[in-house]
Amino acid sequence: MRLTRRESLALGAATAAGSLLSGCNPAANRAEDILRQPAIPPRASDDLAVATLNRFGFGPNNQDLAAIRKAGVDTWFEDQLAPGSEEPGLLEFRLARLDIQHLSPWELRDWPMENIIRQLQQATVLRAVYSPWQVRERIVDFWSNHFNIYCRKGLAAYRKPWDDRHVIRRHALGAFPDMVMASAKSTAMLVYLDQQNSHARRPNENYARELLELHTLGVDAGYTQRDVMEVARCFTGWSEERGFLKRRGEFLFRPELHDQGDKIVLGERISSGGVSEGEQVVRLITHRPETAKHIASKLVEYYLGKPRPKLEASLTETYLESGGDIPSLMRLIFADFKNDPGTVVKRPLDFVVSALRATESATDGGSQVLDAMDRMGQPLNLWPMPDGYSMETAAWSSSLLARWNFALQMSRDRIRGTTIDLDKLIKQTDVVSAVFREEPEGSWLDHVRQQIDGQPPALALALALSSPEFQWR
Amino acid sequence: MAMRSGWSFCDGEGRLDAPRIDRRTFIGSAVGAAIGVWWASPKSALAQAALSRPAENRNVLVSIFLRGGADALNIIVPYGEDEYYRLRPSLALAAPKGSDPTRVLDLDGFFGLNPALEPLAGDYREGRLALVHAVGSHDDTHSHFEAMATMELGLRTNTDRVTGGWLARHLNQRSTGNSPLRSVAFSATMPDSLRGAHGAVAVNRLADYRLGGGEEELEAMRSLYSKGDDEIAAAGRDTLEVLALLNRMDPSGYRPDKGVEYPDSPLGRALCETAFLVKQDVGLEVCCLDSTGWDSHVAQGTASGWLYELARDLAESIAAFRTDLGSEINRVTIVVQSEFGRRAGENSGLGTDHGSGGAMMLLGGGVRGGEVYGDWPGLAPDQLTGPGDLRVTTDYRTILAELLECRHGSKPADNLFPGLGGNRLGLFN
Repeated sequence: MRLTRRESLALGAATAAGSLLSGCNPAANRAEDILRQPAIPPRASDDLAVATLNRFGFGPNNQDLAAIRKAGVDTWFEDQLAPGSEEPGLLEFRLARLDIQHLSPWELRDWPMENIIRQLQQATVLRAVYSPWQVRERIVDFWSNHFNIYCRKGLAAYRKPWDDRHVIRRHALGAFPDMVMASAKSTAMLVYLDQQNSHARRPNENYARELLELHTLGVDAGYTQRDVMEVARCFTGWSEERGFLKRRGEFLFRPELHDQGDKIVLGERISSGGVSEGEQVVRLITHRPETAKHIASKLVEYYLGKPRPKLEASLTETYLESGGDIPSLMRLIFADFKNDPGTVVKRPLDFVVSALRATESATDGGSQVLDAMDRMGQPLNLWPMPDGYSMETAAWSSSLLARWNFALQMSRDRIRGTTIDLDKLIKQTDVVSAVFREEPEGSWLDHVRQQIDGQPPALALALALSSPEFQWR
Repeated sequence: MAMRSGWSFCDGEGRLDAPRIDRRTFIGSAVGAAIGVWWASPKSALAQAALSRPAENRNVLVSIFLRGGADALNIIVPYGEDEYYRLRPSLALAAPKGSDPTRVLDLDGFFGLNPALEPLAGDYREGRLALVHAVGSHDDTHSHFEAMATMELGLRTNTDRVTGGWLARHLNQRSTGNSPLRSVAFSATMPDSLRGAHGAVAVNRLADYRLGGGEEELEAMRSLYSKGDDEIAAAGRDTLEVLALLNRMDPSGYRPDKGVEYPDSPLGRALCETAFLVKQDVGLEVCCLDSTGWDSHVAQGTASGWLYELARDLAESIAAFRTDLGSEINRVTIVVQSEFGRRAGENSGLGTDHGSGGAMMLLGGGVRGGEVYGDWPGLAPDQLTGPGDLRVTTDYRTILAELLECRHGSKPADNLFPGLGGNRLGLFN
């Protein structure tokens, strides 16, 4: 295969995201912890319903806050772990207008790549804002980053809508090994990590390495370069259909590219068997304790912030007992959260969506919203490296200005495709209580209240959304 | 190829060729008028710190990181070695012959430059550009993230422990200034090398760094962020200081020196804005820039194509920056590095997989250029390491250490790089 000039340029140049390559890595975490001043993030809300929507969803809006209060927090959370397929009419209607929702990779071939990327981003924002299945939308964000695909690589954008439906969303609250297997057969992933042309004579290691390092075992799991190369041999021939009049862009195993010899992965013999070898590798690595531990620690970081060794140990155990059942892991995390919520910084998607929800804004999730997220450093589906967007506070604290500008624009109702009814919002209560869904006497918000006091309503709202307190979820 | 070891040539303070610009000339410049007002404002302590520094502190370090693992063997090509052609039957660049633009540009009869770097060929000939080959860390994970973190934290391998990025440690141990623009990363998020630096700034584009609205909004935001101990509150205060400074400088009005055209790429734009900051003389000491997309697993091309386009952008951006700065380039040193080089042999996709030994480039003030430094380990099967990688013969940190010692008054720089010995290549005058 040859990359066209346009594709290779897009890979190299491109995007704000192109320039944000400080990966998330343990070493940097350590450094950050020690060097910065001791940081005391604002605490989570005392109102468990509000805190739960902030942490396990995209923040409260009227409708979901009413639902969680009515059902009770525990029942609501349990229901959320088995979400229905129905969405509210408005969301269904908006999603239905996106071509990526109903066209196959092959049918999308004539669409401009940037349109497809925009639609992917738009769908994510719309669902996060409007879906009542907030726990699912939240964990979809986690897995979309765990199995990150940079959509300007090759034809990945054309394959990603399928990946989003059949890998991420289908298995987001299912069993982790199934998700890895689906991802290994996702042509978006295979294109992104150069798997589709790998063949027996010279296997390409890119997918094999990230499968072990990022998707499953984790970098400290003790596998070797030799294991990476053996896994790469197992996956030779995992490619996509390109035949005339065939369903192009779908997964296809091509035996003529496959390395027929025996392989040894992590000390286990993988006997020659065509496509079953890669499948065997996925089963082998997704049932290893190192994978369980890796997933446990990533979930804890995402939902609770700092590492929690005790919780991670019990998550690891539960993963191994349940075969990687994700709802079982979520229950443990939620129980620990109720004990000690910790603090987690909002990434730009979190900030934007929680602001839209808090203000009961109507939005089309269109280009002005997406451009703003770009300026904040998180254009969705456009993180170039396979590790996904960073979960560290330090990665996001330097792009506050873009958040403030979004808040200022939004509160003046100057975002095309998004409308806010400020009068209605503050009819019942003050701005701070409306934005944070907190009773007026909540003392952790006293400073914000003082600052906002006496300001005109639009500026007051912008300040509430810009405040340090609103940047945590 | 020479290898000078064991001693350093510079005076340790980088005094050699940093010209002193007197304050009157500076204030007289176009933007100076605005700064003059700011100078007289109540915040003038800050201005004082930024503008009245001794000459040796006016040096600027510009770090360009090639993200993804740049293929050093096809950038500084060992065309004098037959093994190179054996390992890369499809991807090798041809040895120089006449002025054939599809062949490498000869450097020293053994190495040649990828023709994409032609805009910098004159810098090499005239001694401004130094190259180092077979350089890298001893991280052996072949992982982008581990290798990048290792380098950006200034470590030998990823298992060492330190606090903060290498540039952050340098800046924090040398309290030479408290300008809000002392260290700037052109990126939406902070790179690891600046993690922990007090007041480091990450911006996409200076010109876009404005708060919508007017003084009222700005004042309200200052007041809102006046309290709070968390990282966000602290970062917000930093942001407000930078806003105040940039508001007085008008970066969007910047025009490069006449005749200079930067490539319209993220790197080109960032270097253009770097030049603006250098010329403003507002206390900039460190600038971090990225070039992305170097992870060339497939179809990387040879004297055209993917890698060529990336290298071309790099060379044109640096050349424009050098010309734009004029004599000011003498107080600026550019260092170019990447997390690792790539596998010596090509793969099945006409690309190369992650490797070990890579290359570094230095250009600008004090650089003793016109030479390819380092010990060449060779490409024969028994000379390669790991899965078939170019061996690392020079710890990348010896170069960074020498840069800090010779140009930025860090001494001894070994404090910054744990376990690094005293060997230096003699890269600086």
